[in-house]
Amino acid sequence: MSSIGTVASAAAEKGTPVQQIRVLLVEDNLSDMELLLRALRRDGFDGEFDAVQTAEEFAQRIRTKSYDIVLADYNLPQWTGMEALEMLHQEGLDIPLILVSGALPDETAVGCIKRGASDYILKDRLARLPAAVRSALEDKKLREERERAQRELAQKVEELARSNRELEQFAYVASHDLQEPLRMVAAYTQILGEKYRGKLDEQADKYIYYAVDGAKRMQTLIQDLLAFSRAGRGTERSLTDGRVAVEQALSNLTAAIRESHAEVKFDHLPVVLANHSLLVQLFQNLIGNAIKFRGIDTPLIQIAAEQETGQWIFTVADNGIGMAPEYLEDVFIIFKRLHTREEYPGNGIGLSICRKIVEQHGGRISVTSQEGQGSTFRFTLPATEPEFQPGHTL
Amino acid sequence: MNPSPEILIVDDNPADIDLVREALAHSSCPSHVSSARDGVEAITLLSAPKNEKAFHAPDLIMLDLSLPRKDGRAVLAEVKSHPALRRTPVVVFSTSCAQHDILGCYELGANSYVSKPGDLEGFLAAVISIERFWFDCARLPRKEEEP
Repeated sequence: MSSIGTVASAAAEKGTPVQQIRVLLVEDNLSDMELLLRALRRDGFDGEFDAVQTAEEFAQRIRTKSYDIVLADYNLPQWTGMEALEMLHQEGLDIPLILVSGALPDETAVGCIKRGASDYILKDRLARLPAAVRSALEDKKLREERERAQRELAQKVEELARSNRELEQFAYVASHDLQEPLRMVAAYTQILGEKYRGKLDEQADKYIYYAVDGAKRMQTLIQDLLAFSRAGRGTERSLTDGRVAVEQALSNLTAAIRESHAEVKFDHLPVVLANHSLLVQLFQNLIGNAIKFRGIDTPLIQIAAEQETGQWIFTVADNGIGMAPEYLEDVFIIFKRLHTREEYPGNGIGLSICRKIVEQHGGRISVTSQEGQGSTFRFTLPATEPEFQPGHTL
Repeated sequence: MNPSPEILIVDDNPADIDLVREALAHSSCPSHVSSARDGVEAITLLSAPKNEKAFHAPDLIMLDLSLPRKDGRAVLAEVKSHPALRRTPVVVFSTSCAQHDILGCYELGANSYVSKPGDLEGFLAAVISIERFWFDCARLPRKEEEP
């Protein structure tokens, strides 16, 4: 084992920037070693150069010192440069290794590169060595940067998922635990109102009414919040027939449909990979909304789906009151309402649940509308693998 | 039907105990209602010698699940493994609708599980249904003669 040490480089004298590197040479031939060093120094490299001959020396070196690069002769008395590469791998060290050797069959050289050597340099073509070293170091740097970026990204994704889970849990627990005391407020203000109506004065009756009304409204808000947080919990996906989902949604809306004489048209709805009950809820909310915000005409709701690269685009179009373009984004925000409670009841939860369901399935939802001209909701769901739906037309 | 059925309500929330009393106050045959605010108090009351503190063994126990000191499940388990108390019907009356709570209670021998409705009307109606079923419809074992 020998240390060749630091020698002033010719490049430094020429004024070109010198790159300091730590090199481990695996070489039994002293004059070859000298040629390698000269080739490197001539091209702007300097630093620490250590040399070993046997596998034992190599193992000791790589365990006790860190190197930027290993230059290994392919043919050594008792072992080969490729064994050195394997030892690096076994030690979990990502140090580029360049094989430097006399003539070798092409297939051997290619095999070495395939097994992880950075490059292969013939001893009679040493002029190529500095460029090979530079490129190996550059590759390693890029590799490290990519790995670091991937680690950071994975960490960010994990952090985001955790904070989402916590938020979800928070909303659920908060709304669940809020229900209890609120139940007391609602019940006892109501009893107060019933038992003492007319016994206080008119003003008092009115105040009690406001308190009861507020408490009841808060109860429905909390129930809606719970429903919203639950909409994120259905994670099981199965092949779900869009037609079956719509039919179930319609059956859940029987009363509203009968009362409004709404007509719902649909055909050729595909099978998608989705959570069945969430898909039903999605259609139910969209159809229910279309009925609720109907105009003077009998509600007509048309549901369709068309396939586009890798996804299905579903549309739910109605002839209802529509909305002004400036509200098109807002309607998907939780508790966002465009009308007073007197005009249309509800808390503004339905469409936010729709968005949550669609996004949970990896899709997007949007709406186009004109005031007085109906609305068309459009959402996407990823298409299933083609073999899942052999000519599936319903 | 017993002349004046005894109901023991085990609930840590006095407002809920009063709501149950409120519901029962309008029933045709008013029940005698006693209450315990936690599991330990409930067990003490149930295992007290007769006539102490004027307490009679109840005909029905309405049991909340989240109780301080000893929770409802533990009370249920104790009641249902007690040679004399096990025959007393226990209606679990809790806000939880969770399947594991429902299942766990029936496994411990609960006679029925009723979720507390969130609205006043529903709550009162549930209590009245419970009373009607157990005291008008179902037959209960005859109480041992008081000494």
